[in-house]
Amino acid sequence: MSEDTLFLIYELIDVIISGLTNGSVYALMAVGLTLVYGVTKAFNFAYGSFFNLGGYLAWLMIPVVGAVGGYVSIFIAVIPIMFIVGYGLEKSLVAPLRKRPEWEMKVMMMTLGLALFMDNLYAVVFGGRVKSLPPILEGTLDVGDLVFSYQDIMIFFLSIGGILLFGWILNNTRIGMAVQAVAQNPEGAKIVGIPEKRIFAATFAISTAMVGFGGILLSQKYFISPMSGGAIMVKSWVITAFGGMGSIRGGLYAAFIIGMLEAFVGYTLGMSYSMIALFILLLTTLALRPQGLMGRA
Amino acid sequence: MLTVTDLNAYYGQAQVLKQVSITADAGQVVVILGPNGHGKSTLLKSICGLVERVVGAVIYQGENILGQPTDRIVNQGLIYIAENRELFPHMTVLENLKLGAYAKSARAHEKRNLEMVFDLFPRLADRRNQLSSTMSGGEARMLAVARGLMSNAELLCVDEPSLGLQPSLRFEIFSIIQKINKQGKTVLLVEQNIPQITELADRIYVIEEGRISFEGSKEEALSNEHLKEIFLGM
Amino acid sequence: MSWQRMAAIMGVVYGIVAILPLFVGDIRFIMQILIICLIWAVVASCWDVIMGFAGIFSFGQVAFFVIGAYTSGIFAVSWQVPAVLAILMAGLFTAGMGVLVGLPCLKLAGPYVALVTFGVHMTLMPLLRGDIGIALGSGGSVGILTIPPITLFGYAFSSANIIPTFYLTLALAVTCSVVILVVINSYWGTAFLALKDSEEFAVSLGISAFKYKLMVFALTSFLTGVVGAYYGHYIGMLSTRMLELDLFVTLMVMLVVGGIGKFPGAILGAFITVTVNELLAPLGSYRAVTMGALVVILVLLLPNGVMGFWLRRSKAGATST
Repeated sequence: MSEDTLFLIYELIDVIISGLTNGSVYALMAVGLTLVYGVTKAFNFAYGSFFNLGGYLAWLMIPVVGAVGGYVSIFIAVIPIMFIVGYGLEKSLVAPLRKRPEWEMKVMMMTLGLALFMDNLYAVVFGGRVKSLPPILEGTLDVGDLVFSYQDIMIFFLSIGGILLFGWILNNTRIGMAVQAVAQNPEGAKIVGIPEKRIFAATFAISTAMVGFGGILLSQKYFISPMSGGAIMVKSWVITAFGGMGSIRGGLYAAFIIGMLEAFVGYTLGMSYSMIALFILLLTTLALRPQGLMGRA
Repeated sequence: MLTVTDLNAYYGQAQVLKQVSITADAGQVVVILGPNGHGKSTLLKSICGLVERVVGAVIYQGENILGQPTDRIVNQGLIYIAENRELFPHMTVLENLKLGAYAKSARAHEKRNLEMVFDLFPRLADRRNQLSSTMSGGEARMLAVARGLMSNAELLCVDEPSLGLQPSLRFEIFSIIQKINKQGKTVLLVEQNIPQITELADRIYVIEEGRISFEGSKEEALSNEHLKEIFLGM
Repeated sequence: MSWQRMAAIMGVVYGIVAILPLFVGDIRFIMQILIICLIWAVVASCWDVIMGFAGIFSFGQVAFFVIGAYTSGIFAVSWQVPAVLAILMAGLFTAGMGVLVGLPCLKLAGPYVALVTFGVHMTLMPLLRGDIGIALGSGGSVGILTIPPITLFGYAFSSANIIPTFYLTLALAVTCSVVILVVINSYWGTAFLALKDSEEFAVSLGISAFKYKLMVFALTSFLTGVVGAYYGHYIGMLSTRMLELDLFVTLMVMLVVGGIGKFPGAILGAFITVTVNELLAPLGSYRAVTMGALVVILVLLLPNGVMGFWLRRSKAGATST
């Protein structure tokens, strides 16, 4: 094999790894988003701002963490905070809108306002300059000539672990089953005595915690910047719609497909084209299959 | 056990129930008859907190439960068993039944009630791992009743359990309801115009155009010419 | 609301605005704000027709505005097309884009439409800043800086001649508003109300939801594109800064303040919002934070906007007398 081909192969492997790492975090976020939509029918435009909230909270904790526990204590502290924030916001801002005519539209508008509020608050409080988190694990794993960073490996396995834990909760706990029940038949869930309002809030909170977790994972690979929430939000939504809104399995496949697509477009055409490529993919998919990849018609 | 007084229920602008009052004593089977779309289902749903706009009083065990959220009502021992079943389609029979015991008051008795339900409906025990969406109409109806029983309720509000079933299955489901009643449960049963239902009834109400038009024992109902003609098909 | 009443409110609002130059005509700053108010009044009204009347969750309004502005700017700067012609061409091009976006997405459920239209918005920034945009003449991240003003019969309507420019803008705003008024009260408007009430029933009457949605999409894109193009020629320069979230949200505030589906509330909403936004200017970087918080609060507390407030009061007054 010539040097050039070998070089190309290594580059391709890099691209694939980047696609897999990003894809795994996207999967985590898309699963959270598709769950909220499936259960509560609320369309959360502030999703990307919660992603950054996770990043900023982690960044705030770094001075503390230097002393105790490293990332373990970040996860232990930040994820419950995200859950509580999500729960409180659903109860105070989304729930009151639910009984109004055309409430879906009003929730979209409200959460878009919330996104503007949060993003600019970050800019005011933390400044416009980007922040960075230290890698979760330093060093590289060398397999012959191939070099994998421990950071990528950790991100990948933590995301997958998060998704598996989420799936386990959904299928093996009483609250998880109740969440599924509300998604499958809200009226039936009400009849058997499932308190749907609490389930709505809990679902919203779970998705907030998941996207916050995603924020911590991806922010240490890239940067935290106050205004980046919009792009993250659109990406998560595109993945969700591409996979079929409300379909968890669809969201998983879609996340990896889009992670890969993004990595390849970034490699061949440049990062600025990834959003355009995503959008073209979404439009073609919806034109052919309006319910998305695996959505129920 | 249950006293409903002057109940008025509305869907949007339309008033569906007008000054409806009924009572059910512990251990009774109370049957509510009436033509389609005259408010029978709405009455049961109003009692169980499933209708948005209701005015009046629903006294259950001495407490007015009107306006309480459904989960609290279920917790106090009332359950609605829907005419259109309202199962969870992508879950198995067993999962549906377990969710039937979601209320706090039901959790401690989940195991015992599951045995009782499988005893009453052996066919559900055979199909416990089948998805509920793949069941036949009759089996789905059984599952809906069984899921209601899982709530450990004292008062069952059963909405047209015989709807769309062939006669043999109708007979089966009525005999099961009779069995449940013998075990001490109170039953509020809505039906359209089935002659055999009167056999079960301790008390009969008729709802026409949202109002109670008749109230009395099974003997009184059978001797009432108007009712015989219209509802009992005799 | 009857169309007479809508027309009366519109007449009063535009009438008051029309005589304002008599008092503030020599304060350039206020005249500029008034012109901006008029421009946003049209854009917000168009959005209201889509969201409030047609019930389409379109989030592409700012995108269409920017498409119109850039199209006209590129025609005028790179191809030396006269401004008036460029504006018209921009309107048609934007309408075409509206149809192109509408074709795949108007048959989808609400949130998908929101996503696709917002996706158009989000893709526009990298597109205009990237190689494709530069090749077309978007000026990349710098933008287009030297857009010629509108010239009619040798007279240039620029910010140097602010009062005539103001009246030209007013004429444009009134024309667009009248078109919207006619559309809302035409057979289209009735069809939309029927579709919103019960799509099944409307379809059974032979009203094709898709056809009407596409037509309303084309019309509002055309108007938005024209106004966007007009804006470009008035301001003289364009940048992708317009695509950031705060302008989008400001436009949304206009709609919420005016009342969704309460035309001509959106016009009032535009005037109120632009004024408040200017008053908030001393807040500096907190302005966007405040705007965001304002949306959240207004959506929760003012469900029908100022129009709803006003209508309820006049209704209460009518029953008490």
